[in-house]
Amino acid sequence: MTKYGRQLGIGPTDNTSNERTPRNKLNLIPEAARKSFVPYAPGIHGINLAEADMTRIAPGRPRASGEAIKVSGKLMDEYGRPIKNALIEIWNANQHGGYTHDEDHSGLPIDQNFLGIGRTLSNSDGNYEFWTIKPGAYLARPDIGRWRPPHIHVSIIGGSSRLISQMYFPNDPHNDKDPMRILMGDNFKANIGKKYNVTANDFDCGYNFDIIIGGKNPTFFENDIT
Amino acid sequence: MTHSNKEINRLTPTNEDTVGPYYPPSLCENNSMDMTSIRSGIVFKPLGEKITIKGCVKDIDGKLSNGCLLEFWQPNSQGVYYRADTESHEMVDPWFTGYTRHRTKDGNFSLTTIKPGTADGRAPNITVTIFSDGIMRVVTQLFFADEKSNRDDPLLLSIPEELRERLMINKISDHKYEIEIIMAGKNETPFFDDLLS
Ligand SMILES: [Fe+2]
Repeated sequence: MTKYGRQLGIGPTDNTSNERTPRNKLNLIPEAARKSFVPYAPGIHGINLAEADMTRIAPGRPRASGEAIKVSGKLMDEYGRPIKNALIEIWNANQHGGYTHDEDHSGLPIDQNFLGIGRTLSNSDGNYEFWTIKPGAYLARPDIGRWRPPHIHVSIIGGSSRLISQMYFPNDPHNDKDPMRILMGDNFKANIGKKYNVTANDFDCGYNFDIIIGGKNPTFFENDIT
Repeated sequence: MTHSNKEINRLTPTNEDTVGPYYPPSLCENNSMDMTSIRSGIVFKPLGEKITIKGCVKDIDGKLSNGCLLEFWQPNSQGVYYRADTESHEMVDPWFTGYTRHRTKDGNFSLTTIKPGTADGRAPNITVTIFSDGIMRVVTQLFFADEKSNRDDPLLLSIPEELRERLMINKISDHKYEIEIIMAGKNETPFFDDLLS
């Protein structure tokens, strides 16, 4: 007896989405198999603190150009309990919308002072923070004139399920036409960073982005890492 | 992707979003896809049968899905998962974590691993999580076609019989296996919902 879960939506105007989104509903996992679905990724904690400051290639190097921002928030499960010691991976475009990825053939300018890749861990209260350059929008589909709004990619390992998501910016004119944003519906607001003023001297502003990891699976990162 | 939250006192999970085309491969601890050598240059090796699984991820048109981020997760040959809560388990294999990930450039992959044992009443299986441009995360478990324990596996029994073969890793010769994962359409691989389950 099959029980069905979500039907994943196909992002409008996105070819890859049409070609790769499963047409069948996801299957629910029977209780006896559920625990086995959550990967535990050991050995991922060799993180240099400087990796959270994406505004420079390395400490002491020149600041990348564009608007330097702080992003901070709390990682929680569905019950509001903090998820501590989780690995947060971040990648975003530079101020022109270009990535340093070797498959980005957009021709947008590359900033020699901006790698666009960072890592950090949530602390014992589930809080995290990192610093980056506010990404530019980019024209993802020149053939139909569709832009991707400015966004920061985040990947989290260590909660009750694996999560890859994106943080968007408030009031961006490209937000509403983004195909993935359309699939999110009203819940899109949860993926918009809330702007706040930073009193520290060398950042332009901050964005609060609390991340709630779904799923009822156990969290295997509850032990403190020494 | 949103899902309705029936219990009022629970928070709505952050929407999953596409990984996009530019996941940095350098974030994968090693892009080598060899789970049998977590520490290179030593004589210690994990217990069990070393196998290689050649596979690919295809789209609705049968074309390879380039740029997918693939994550693999499995128990060791004794059927024990290496987790925070099992680290001191006597059957944990210190030379095998059971976890690796890889960004496939063209949609093909070749996973070198140890054949998983039977864990917690389950047939031997490998959990695969797939992230790709244009889609949300999908997750499934792959089984070995020649395992008798498949007929009692609760996950396999939970889906229609005709779909079970789509989750089978087939043996092609000694220690060599293959699997085709089809994201959408005809012969679509069954995927599972670990948020609502
Ligand atoms: Fe992006």
